[in-house]
Amino acid sequence: MTTPILEIKNLHVKVEEEDKQILKGVDLTLPAGEVHAIMGRNGSGKSTLSYVLAGKDGYEVTEGEILFMGKDLLEMEADERAAAGLFLAFQYPIEIPGVATMTFLKAALNAQRKTRGEDELKIPEFMKLVKDASAQLEINQDMLKRPLNVGFSGGEKKRAEILQMALMQPSLCVLDETDSGLDIDALKIVSEGVNHLRDANRSMLVITHYQRLLNYIVPDRVHVFSDGRVVESGDRELALELEKKGYAEFDGTAA
Amino acid sequence: MEQHVVKLTDAENQLADLLQAAGAADAKAALTANGLPTRRIEEYHYTDLRTLLREVPANLAKANDGLPSEQFEDFSRIVLVNGALVHADTIDGVEIKSADVARTVGHDQIINLMDGFAQSQIEIVISKSIETPIHIAQVHDGANSVAASKVNVRTAKGVEAAIIETFEGSNESGLRFADFAMDVAAESNLLHIQLDQNAKYARQFVQNRYDLHEDANLRTLVTHSNFQLGRTDIKADFKGEGAHADFGGLNLLVGQQHGDITLNVNHGVPNTTSTESFKSIVRDRAKAIFQGKIIVAPDAQKTDAQMMCQGLLLSERAEVLVKPELEIFADDVLCAHGATCGELDENHLFYLMSRGISRADAESMLIKAFLAELFDEIENEQVHAKLENRVDAWLAAAE
Ligand SMILES: Nc1ncnc2c1ncn2[C@@H]1O[C@H](COP(=O)(O)OP(=O)(O)OP(=O)(O)O)[C@@H](O)[C@H]1O
Ligand SMILES: [Mg+2]
Repeated sequence: MTTPILEIKNLHVKVEEEDKQILKGVDLTLPAGEVHAIMGRNGSGKSTLSYVLAGKDGYEVTEGEILFMGKDLLEMEADERAAAGLFLAFQYPIEIPGVATMTFLKAALNAQRKTRGEDELKIPEFMKLVKDASAQLEINQDMLKRPLNVGFSGGEKKRAEILQMALMQPSLCVLDETDSGLDIDALKIVSEGVNHLRDANRSMLVITHYQRLLNYIVPDRVHVFSDGRVVESGDRELALELEKKGYAEFDGTAA
Repeated sequence: MEQHVVKLTDAENQLADLLQAAGAADAKAALTANGLPTRRIEEYHYTDLRTLLREVPANLAKANDGLPSEQFEDFSRIVLVNGALVHADTIDGVEIKSADVARTVGHDQIINLMDGFAQSQIEIVISKSIETPIHIAQVHDGANSVAASKVNVRTAKGVEAAIIETFEGSNESGLRFADFAMDVAAESNLLHIQLDQNAKYARQFVQNRYDLHEDANLRTLVTHSNFQLGRTDIKADFKGEGAHADFGGLNLLVGQQHGDITLNVNHGVPNTTSTESFKSIVRDRAKAIFQGKIIVAPDAQKTDAQMMCQGLLLSERAEVLVKPELEIFADDVLCAHGATCGELDENHLFYLMSRGISRADAESMLIKAFLAELFDEIENEQVHAKLENRVDAWLAAAE
């Protein structure tokens, strides 16, 4: 059997310098080529899981491990994880005044290439990549002339995240509520962009509150997240059932 | 006037002897009576020179003809070595000459030293707009010596011109003074930038004075990064209605450097506007100071002055000290000041790193972003590139 892209084993995470346990034993295996959805209540720890995967400071792993293509992910810095092929589309993309979007894209792509021992992109090559990818996502070139995410609308920010993902061609895409804030047309365009990236060697972890997204990005499996753990896993039908019955049926908080 | 009896430090005695040798008896008398400014003098509150200037050079710099290293392609050049005019390009519409120094003695001992050590003053009269900027290379040559320069610029009405000054120095600790005065004529549009490229242990005191007349427009930028100890004292006086000025400054400091920019802007007449934008980036145990005072005279209605100072702390023990002040005596004015000071934003760093950019590169990007506002206003590409190179070198040195 081939190595899964991602294996999360009994992951316990708390906030550093605080007594707050957020993840309480997450188990999740994501085989190559599959798309898994995570659904769960507000505050159940979904974004925390995505941050821990991406390598954000401020969290402490108290138990468990994460293997990324068989390697110990927790040993790597955030930038090394990105170069190794992990990408997080943020629930709330960060605005960075003073950093031009194009400068940032070029720096990011070349930094990853450098870490992998590849040559830097030539400027025309880079421009063409960006032009093609943004055309597909119907992103206005003028937006890319602005500082990174600054003044982008909610939907524009989400599209810009998917643009970055398309450019970076990661092996593991973690999408944290990419659908929230998108209008109906944008949801379709972005989903198409994501589907376009589906590949036998690429896996996706799609965090969402809405089963509607899963009509577009059809998952291989759905996991229900509650209080820092996966409490139920199933196929695509689970999302529909969840929508009908609500979370209480699954996390045992039914009155 | 109250006369204090001050017990002088070795450094003060040494400076007094040097003033005597420079032929500045009045400045010497003032120094011996008062000593160097200490923290008890408000304008020097964060820059106590009795403690900071404990060692001073033993000699006066000699006149010589050492040549500067800093070059700007196509700019017109004026070269001052140890304050003396040694070269001036012929520039159409510009008269440049060296005159006897006119010394005054006042309450500020540093300004007295500046005047006292100057042996000549350079008069620059710009009577026509000039397209290529004028580069004034100020060279301090001769190790362990004191040098001073005085430059007076006057322009005719409606003239457009840019002056870029560079401060360069020989490789050992020296003490230099530079006084720059610019009369910004009515309707003229002037740019004045100072880049310091001093030696590592240099101590530098600069005074920039601007008089702004009717409908004049001025932009200035001071950079502090190459010295051990540096202070720039900026004094601007709005004398004509409709004048506007943008004052900018940067302290980019590391190690044990101490940089002080003290600004006094006097809006003395109605309908004048100004912006003041000062930034500090400090690493290690460096200390950056910005004191900015805006005064609006009683009849200076419709004054609009916006002052902002921002600090970026890159090490725990580095310090940014700011003191913005508004003294407003008119009632129909728009004046504001703000100050922010902090570290690099961890969320910004994480976002950049999550895209594969190393921590060091992410920090550099954010530091440059912090400075972008200040540099973006400088349209001349060569000057802009020099500023960016300086920051790049500074960042590279820290890695
Ligand atoms: N740095 C932190 N310090 C303190 N509490 C935190 C921190 N980060 C997350 N939390 C808390 O952990 C819990 C999980 O947060 P998280 O953002 O992971 O939830 P989520 O499942 O993504 O929610 P949502 O669906 O609303 O996005 C919340 O109660 C949150 O307040
Ligand atoms: Mg979340």
